[in-house]
Amino acid sequence: MRLVIDYKKCLKSGQCSYLHSELITAGADGTPRVIIEQIEEHLRDAAEDAVDLCPSGAIALREDVEK
Amino acid sequence: MADTPTLSLEQLRGDLATFLANPYPTYSEMRDQSPEQMEFIPGGIVPGLDEPIKAWALMKYNDVYSALRDHDTFSSARNPFVEKGFFPQLVLIMDDPPRHTRFRRLVNKAFTLRRVESLEPWITSVANELLDEVGSEETDIVQSYTIPLPVKVIARLMGIPGDDFTIFKRWSDTFISSLISIPLEERMQNTMEMAEYFGKIAAARRTRGAEDLITALVEAEIDGESLQDWEILGFCILLLIAGNETTTNLVGNMLNILIDRPELWRRLREDRNLVEPVIEETLRYESPVQQLQRTTTRDVTISGVTIPANDLVAVFFGAANRDPKEFPNADEFRLDRDLRNHVSFGAGIHYCLGAPLARAEAKITLNAFLDRFPVIEHGRTPALRQTQSPVVFGFERLPLVLRAKGH
Repeated sequence: MRLVIDYKKCLKSGQCSYLHSELITAGADGTPRVIIEQIEEHLRDAAEDAVDLCPSGAIALREDVEK
Repeated sequence: MADTPTLSLEQLRGDLATFLANPYPTYSEMRDQSPEQMEFIPGGIVPGLDEPIKAWALMKYNDVYSALRDHDTFSSARNPFVEKGFFPQLVLIMDDPPRHTRFRRLVNKAFTLRRVESLEPWITSVANELLDEVGSEETDIVQSYTIPLPVKVIARLMGIPGDDFTIFKRWSDTFISSLISIPLEERMQNTMEMAEYFGKIAAARRTRGAEDLITALVEAEIDGESLQDWEILGFCILLLIAGNETTTNLVGNMLNILIDRPELWRRLREDRNLVEPVIEETLRYESPVQQLQRTTTRDVTISGVTIPANDLVAVFFGAANRDPKEFPNADEFRLDRDLRNHVSFGAGIHYCLGAPLARAEAKITLNAFLDRFPVIEHGRTPALRQTQSPVVFGFERLPLVLRAKGH
């Protein structure tokens, strides 16, 4: 699974990088960036929580179709 | 720096109501020279606060956004109003990490976008029930709709009877809309009543749980420890305050903006894709929360001005949202701008927990009004802005005439 951010929806609330700093970091202007894209099993719960807590619905877990 | 700050509230004492009813001209005057320390609450204006309280006003967009994201420097936990016994210590909004982090994780689940979406059909039915009662005569929409809707919604989330909403409104006024006019004794009395009310409900949920937020709170454990009664109370008060007045004002401000733009109302009725942009631009243009405070934990330089450690800072969302450097033609209501950058819900760790819920209530309201009413107009009684709270921006009274189809 891949963790992705839709920047068209992102409102830079900062919740993802605050509560899941192991997966997502925020730049100086508040724009978040995924630091671990490939979500292994042990990070699955954290990644799902990050998806869930985004107030603008900008984060998603996608099936990795390339593989 | 000028000897007399433009917004000396001493100077405004007689004119405070004018400022609160329309703070935007003052922001325009003050923004360029901000940050500036001002007499934030003059002594004697607020019952119980005899000494004046000074604060540094942040009014530029970049200053506001940076301060909101720098929670290490700008603390929410240290609050002079709480220290003076003037206000109860609320959880979350008056917490810093690590306590804030634990609480936020705990309650986030109840307010996620997904959870709010699952409530939308129910919220829609509440909205329609309220509108069924309104009729085609002049109505003060604040009393008939914008107050009851968010109270009923938050009551349901918390698991308390929605019919008690007049009591909640009075309690909520204690902390927001009548901040200036309610005597200290009455405020204390109301706080005690709230403590008793929520204490009883929490005790009942400990005996028998339900599918609600108060049950989640009494059953929750943070680092192996249950929440204490005052923490549960602090959270209930926060929800009552933060979840009601703010949404009431968002919805009222939005309707008022649209009454004055009949062409936009017609376009909206034909193109509902404009509903969400209208809500976001309303949030920017007339932010329901105008400012909140922080306390500096160290000396910090902002826009070339050094603010010393341990000083109170007033972060003006309302002024940031009209900063022409961030929003060209900031004083115009326009849908053709980047609508994502307003700070009406704050930014960073304290970003409004209820933002998805507020947006849903505004969206449901606007769609319900558009479905029912080809035209909305002002009533004969003049509208009245609230002038009792330095925090919020909205209407105390907003008379409307709503003509349904076929009338």
